[in-house]
Amino acid sequence: MPSSRYKDMIKKLLSIFHDSPNSFEGQKHGEEVLMLLRHHPFTIIIKVAFFVLIGLVPIVLWIIFSALLEEHGWLNAFLFVSSIWYLVLWLGIFHSLTIYTLNAVLITDRRIIDNDLHGLFNREVSELHNNRIQDVSVHTNGLLETFLKFGDVTVQTAASEKQFIFHQVPKPEKVKDVIMQITASRHTGVKTVVQ
Amino acid sequence: MFTLEIIFNILAGLAFFIYWVIAFVILYHLSRFGIGVQPKKFAATFLFGSVVLSAAVIILFTRTDISAFLSL
Repeated sequence: MPSSRYKDMIKKLLSIFHDSPNSFEGQKHGEEVLMLLRHHPFTIIIKVAFFVLIGLVPIVLWIIFSALLEEHGWLNAFLFVSSIWYLVLWLGIFHSLTIYTLNAVLITDRRIIDNDLHGLFNREVSELHNNRIQDVSVHTNGLLETFLKFGDVTVQTAASEKQFIFHQVPKPEKVKDVIMQITASRHTGVKTVVQ
Repeated sequence: MFTLEIIFNILAGLAFFIYWVIAFVILYHLSRFGIGVQPKKFAATFLFGSVVLSAAVIILFTRTDISAFLSL
């Protein structure tokens, strides 16, 4: 039946929005992603709120100058400029969301991968194997970080003096525990399970 | 006046083209480098919103009388 085939196709296509696995480029066979970390949502909510505030500008201008705009026949021109304003804002919001989404840290059962996206064409990927992890520390600074439960996690590597710092990640204590577990599993052979 | 209108139309077209180039770069990044469900949802929302807003801009652009501006 062609209709059921189309239904299946649409279902398959839409499935990427709910059961897309945390697979990534360069993933090794049998490598399991334990945690996918991004900055705490609070950091992006602040930015989006700023864009929403800027979005109110045409509405405020309309309330103040509506009579003047209609009198001079500039209504369509005003609406056109406003639509461009919203188009640019839409781009700004999603530029911020892209930077937020792609700045991710992956903790797998073998390594830690830190993706840093400083701009759309400025990307840095660092990798740390679990046999090089020496020390993990958590730093929570200030009222907001304490109440919203986010902070910085610092991973000290064994060979060099290089430090991996994951900024403003949610539940930093849990992240620290998972990293310590994957480090310990190297010696004990016990598989790490994230709850 | 006619020349100015042409320049205005070309500028509007150019701005629109630049918008879609940047939009493509954002969509490419979200679908190529995004891990998990969230980037796909963002990409779909962004594409939908961009199409709707672009349609609104085009409709309002055709309704705008540029000579009203130029006569200022």
